[in-house]
Amino acid sequence: MNPPAPWEEIERLYHEALELPVGERGTLLAHASPALREEVESLLEADSKDGLLAAPPTHVVADLLDGQPSELAPGQRVADYEVESLISIGGMGEVYLAHDREGRPVALKILRRHLTVSAQAVDRFETEARAASALCHPNIVTVYESGESPTGLFIAMEWVDGATFRAIMNAGRVEIAQAMDWGGQAARALSAAHTAGILHRDMKPENIMLRKDGVVKILDFGLARDGGAVGPEPSSMGASGTISGTLSGTLLYMPPEILRGETATSASDVFSLGAFLYELTAGQHPFAGETLLDVFEAIECRPVEAIGSLRNGVPQEVDRLILRMLDRRPGGRPSAREVCDVLGGVGGPQKA
Amino acid sequence: MPETNPQGEVTRLLAEWSSGDQSALNKMMPLVYAELHRIARRAWSQNPHNNTLQPTALINEAYLKLANAENASFHDRCHFYAVACKAMRQILVNHAKSRLSGKRGLGLANISLDDIQPAVHQEAAEIVALHEALEALHAIDSRKSMVVEARYFGGLSVEETAEAMGVSVATVNRDWRLARSWLIRQMNRESS
Repeated sequence: MNPPAPWEEIERLYHEALELPVGERGTLLAHASPALREEVESLLEADSKDGLLAAPPTHVVADLLDGQPSELAPGQRVADYEVESLISIGGMGEVYLAHDREGRPVALKILRRHLTVSAQAVDRFETEARAASALCHPNIVTVYESGESPTGLFIAMEWVDGATFRAIMNAGRVEIAQAMDWGGQAARALSAAHTAGILHRDMKPENIMLRKDGVVKILDFGLARDGGAVGPEPSSMGASGTISGTLSGTLLYMPPEILRGETATSASDVFSLGAFLYELTAGQHPFAGETLLDVFEAIECRPVEAIGSLRNGVPQEVDRLILRMLDRRPGGRPSAREVCDVLGGVGGPQKA
Repeated sequence: MPETNPQGEVTRLLAEWSSGDQSALNKMMPLVYAELHRIARRAWSQNPHNNTLQPTALINEAYLKLANAENASFHDRCHFYAVACKAMRQILVNHAKSRLSGKRGLGLANISLDDIQPAVHQEAAEIVALHEALEALHAIDSRKSMVVEARYFGGLSVEETAEAMGVSVATVNRDWRLARSWLIRQMNRESS
C-alpha cells in the first residue's frame, strides 16, 4: 500500500495538469508518486465527463414550487372522486385508484399544475381525454369524465383489474394461442379507433393491459392527435441532457417514419402493434439493442428474423402478417382491420 | 410580538454571527428554511406557469423579507446567502427524497400509463446522490463543498458565490472545477 497523497498536493498537481495540453500531462504526472498520480489521473478523467452539475435542478425546483405534498393522500377528494392509493407516477401525470360517489373503483389520472411545464403537456392531456371519450369499444379503456379541479387536470376512467403486458412478458413466455387471442383483441381496438379517425401513436406493452377475466384493454391515448408530428418532448431530456427512459422506452415501438420526423398515420400504429405482437409471440423484441443508436439502426435497417426461426408452432400466416406489419414502408403494412381478420382466422372464438 | 417576528430575529442573528457567534447560523436556519418554502409556494400560486423561477430568485426575496436590508452590512448579506444556500440544499434534498420514496413501495403497479421515471425522478436521484457525495467532500475540503452548495443548490453565480464566501472569483472557479471532478469520481465509485 502506498501512503495516501496529501489533498493539497492533489489540488496543486490537478490544476497544473489542467493548464497543460492533454498530451503533455503525462510528463508532468510521471514525476509524482504513484498514489498522487493515480488520484490526479482519475480526477482529470472525471473532469472530461460532462453532465453532472451542468444545470440547476430545475425539475425538482418546479416540482417543489407546487407547495403540495408529493402525492395525494388517501381520502383526498378530486372533483367527485375519493383517492385511495397511488398506482403510478409517469411523465404524463399520476394515476390513483379512487372511488366514485357510489363507491365504484375508478382509475384517476391527474396532471398536476407544477408538472405542467409545457403547454404541450396540457394539450396532450386534454387530447387524451377527448380522444378516449370519443371511443367506445370493449378493448379500449372507457373514460367516464374529465375536467379541472384545484388539484389539477383529471381524467376518471375505467379501473382495469389486471396487469400490463410489460409485466406479463417480464413474467415469462406466453402460449402462442394466447398471444393470438390477445393480439387479436388489441388489433380490434386499434381498428375501431382508426375507423373513428383516431390514432393511438404510443402503442407499447406498458399501454396495453390484460384484465383478470382475459379481456385486453388499451389505454393512454395520450399522444393521439389529429395531424401534427409527434417528436420527443423536451421533458424526455434528463437534467444532464441525456435521453431518459421515457423516450428510449417508447423508441422500441416507433416506426422508422416517426423517427425521421414524418407525420404519423394509422400505418404507424400498425407498426407499433406489430413490434408488440412480435415480442409477445417470439419472446424477444425485434429491434432490441444495447444502446439507443443500436435501436435506431435496427428499426431503420436491421432485417427482422422470422418468428418461426426463434420458436416453433407459430402459424406461417401469422409470422408473415407480423413481418408485414413491421414493413419499413408504411404502404407495405396491412391495416388494423386486416390484422384482426388474420388473427381472428387462426385464433379461437372472438371475445368481446 | 416583536420577539418572534422572523424579520427582527434574522437581523439580530446576522449581527451575532458577524460578531463571531457561530451558533447564530444554526439558529437562523429554520427561519430561512420556512421563509424559502413560503415564498416558493406563493410564487407558484401567483404564477403557476413561471418556469424561470430559480433558487437564487427565492433566496434574494427571502433576504429582502427577512433581513433588515437597508441597515444590514455587506457581511451580513454574505452570511445570509451562505445560510440560505444551505437551507435551499436541505429543501431540495428533502423534497427529492420524498419524491423518490413515493416512487418506491408502489409494489406491482397494476395499471400503468407510463411506468418510466420522468425527468423529475431522475433529477431527484441525482440530487440525493450528489448530496451524499458532497458530505464526503465536506470532510476533506469544506470550502469546496460550500462552493458547490452555493452554485448548484443556491443557484448563485460565480461572482455571487465569491462575494458570499469572501474569496476571489478565481478561487471559486478553481474550487468548482476540482470539486466537480471529485464529485463525479465519487458518485461513479458509489454507484459501481
